[in-house]
Amino acid sequence: MTTYLIRRLIQMVVVTILSAMLGYSLLYLAPGGPLLFLQQMQNTGQRRVTEEDIARLKARYELDLYLPIRFTRWLIGFPAGPVQIGGMNLISPDTVVGCAIPGQVRLRYPDGTVEIIEEGCVRVVTLANLAERRTSRGILFGDFGLSQQIARDRPVSDLLMSRLPYTLQLMGVSTLLAILIGVPVGIYSAVHQYSRFDYAMTGITFVGSSLPTLFMGVMAILVFSVLAKEAGLPYLPSGGAQGIRNYDVPWIGTVQAGSALDRTLRFIMPCAVLTFFNIAGWSRFIRASMLEVLRQDYVRTARAKGVRERAVITKHALRNALIPFVTLLAGVLPTLVAGAAITESVFNWPGMGRLLVDALGRSDYTVAMAILFISTVLVLIGYLISDILYTIVDPRIRLT
Amino acid sequence: MATTTSAPAASGALDRLQTRSEGQWVVVFRRFRRHRLAMVSLAILILIFTASILAPWIAPFPRDEIGLNRTRLPPMSVDPVTGQLHILGTDHLGRDFFTRVIYAARVSLMVAISVTMLVAIIGTTLGLLAGFFGSWVDNTISRIMEFVATIPDLPILLILSAIMIQNADLIVLPSWIIGPIAWIMAAPNREATQVALLILVLASLGWVGVARLMRGMVLQVREMQYIESARALGGSNMWILLKHVFPNAFPPLIVAFTLGLNGALVSEVAISFLGFGVQDPTPTWGNMMGFATSYMFNHPWMPLIPGLPIFLCSLAFNFIGDGLRDALDPRLKL
Repeated sequence: MTTYLIRRLIQMVVVTILSAMLGYSLLYLAPGGPLLFLQQMQNTGQRRVTEEDIARLKARYELDLYLPIRFTRWLIGFPAGPVQIGGMNLISPDTVVGCAIPGQVRLRYPDGTVEIIEEGCVRVVTLANLAERRTSRGILFGDFGLSQQIARDRPVSDLLMSRLPYTLQLMGVSTLLAILIGVPVGIYSAVHQYSRFDYAMTGITFVGSSLPTLFMGVMAILVFSVLAKEAGLPYLPSGGAQGIRNYDVPWIGTVQAGSALDRTLRFIMPCAVLTFFNIAGWSRFIRASMLEVLRQDYVRTARAKGVRERAVITKHALRNALIPFVTLLAGVLPTLVAGAAITESVFNWPGMGRLLVDALGRSDYTVAMAILFISTVLVLIGYLISDILYTIVDPRIRLT
Repeated sequence: MATTTSAPAASGALDRLQTRSEGQWVVVFRRFRRHRLAMVSLAILILIFTASILAPWIAPFPRDEIGLNRTRLPPMSVDPVTGQLHILGTDHLGRDFFTRVIYAARVSLMVAISVTMLVAIIGTTLGLLAGFFGSWVDNTISRIMEFVATIPDLPILLILSAIMIQNADLIVLPSWIIGPIAWIMAAPNREATQVALLILVLASLGWVGVARLMRGMVLQVREMQYIESARALGGSNMWILLKHVFPNAFPPLIVAFTLGLNGALVSEVAISFLGFGVQDPTPTWGNMMGFATSYMFNHPWMPLIPGLPIFLCSLAFNFIGDGLRDALDPRLKL
């Protein structure tokens, strides 16, 4: 078990670094960003952009450093300045790590065309220069750098933390509700296979799991907000986590914007849509797993020796049927972060998924990468937890 | 075939036996026909598909014809100026909804079908190789699959398509990819580029599921006795792989492909809805839905018009997948 865990942890670190590299190369390859903004300013003639402006902006977003240096600074915050051990310089502080202003060479071709290419370097960046800059501690240690567009120059982690409670609330409540409803429904369906209830439930869950949440979300708003309001019935407000103005709802009266009632009313629809979608998954899964177990010999043995049916189901069947359930539970972990981007966008819910969509829409790639990185790490942790839980709930499985 | 029929009485019996033998696919189709909802779904899909193919001929209006004096007309309304009928009404720019819905079907269905085809080709090939050859081939492919599976699909899908679409001008795709897509869409090359990029993004992440399934099936089939006897006959690896392993491992994947069609359709709709997929003048059900939802408070029918085909196709693919699963499962008596 210990050797297994150690091996798994090493594997996890490797995969984390690999996915960080993947994320970073996407970030690096993606054009747009701050320099494009500067270019636009120059093109529209708003302001003359000098070489100094470009150099300053490049320095701010580290665009003047060589790629490997930028990557390690981004990943683990190294090097933050001259590399020293006990006051001694390990590497010369004059080592060149980047180029602030590239040299320009004017090429004149025989046919008269002129092309300007960048070659060499007019002003270099050295290790010593790095000491003056703000250095992130590295994303591996939870420092995701500064946001570029959404909240200019505020740390990405602040942004994430401000959105996290909303996502946790939405995903947490809907997952919990889905399990609380879906699991009993799945068990009942399996025990009474081919009953009317079973047919109805399999039908509903089939539709629930096949319809896109986007469609369900829009239809929910249409029915419970728009049409209900037009018909003069009590309706659910849609959009956002809390209102801006007070509003009247029939039968309930005036709802104060930002009050607990307002927030609850706004929470109901996104939560219900996600719950409905998840119930389908959970109940189908439990039903299948329960049916599998009910066919086993030990269940027949239990029945044969006269155990009451209730005990057969709860003690013998259910316990074994829940084993695969544990793995699924760990799969919930990464969806807690950006699993509901679509639902959150439909309902304008200010969570992490919505933040990802906003960040991508405004080319704020540092925010997007942070979300991608966090959810990848959560996937890995989820895998690990499910493996460990597996050995706990099922002693037949040994990890070696 | 090589059996001798010496006695005339026996030959009659043999004839009867021979007429009873049917091809596998005939049996599967006969079983599939019993699933009533799947048959209805198939009919609906064929209808939508035909409408989308015939779009240039049956569309009553040009695809992008804007009419600012006839915006957001409800279904079955008549244009106040020209007196023409808009069967499904018009959108926020006065473009005819019916025309755009059937053109959008071309895009949405083509994305779904081509993504599924690409995924099927890449996934089955890699799964087949990994399962059949084992050792380092399996190791390499499995590690790649694990890595791709670790990355959460929705965020990476959104990031990739956002980056690709925002830089669609910088990425140059060869004309043998763009050409056919533009032809199918009945649209200029510029619009086809976005769609091609979206297809590539979706396919580059989608193959893992298929490859995994294929690998699992091949691992099962490989241990069967008929493979052993094929080997004993002196068959080459290639022959065994293509003639014996592939046909036996393949049927369960058909269900996965049908559900994959739904997955690709829904992903395209979601990405275009959020604004990172196919961009406006090109209609898809996703971006039409995106625009319609912003007007739904005063014009509640608007999201229904692109929403209904999404609803129908999504359910239809799932029902057909369900029907195929039953039809292909030899243990299930129908």
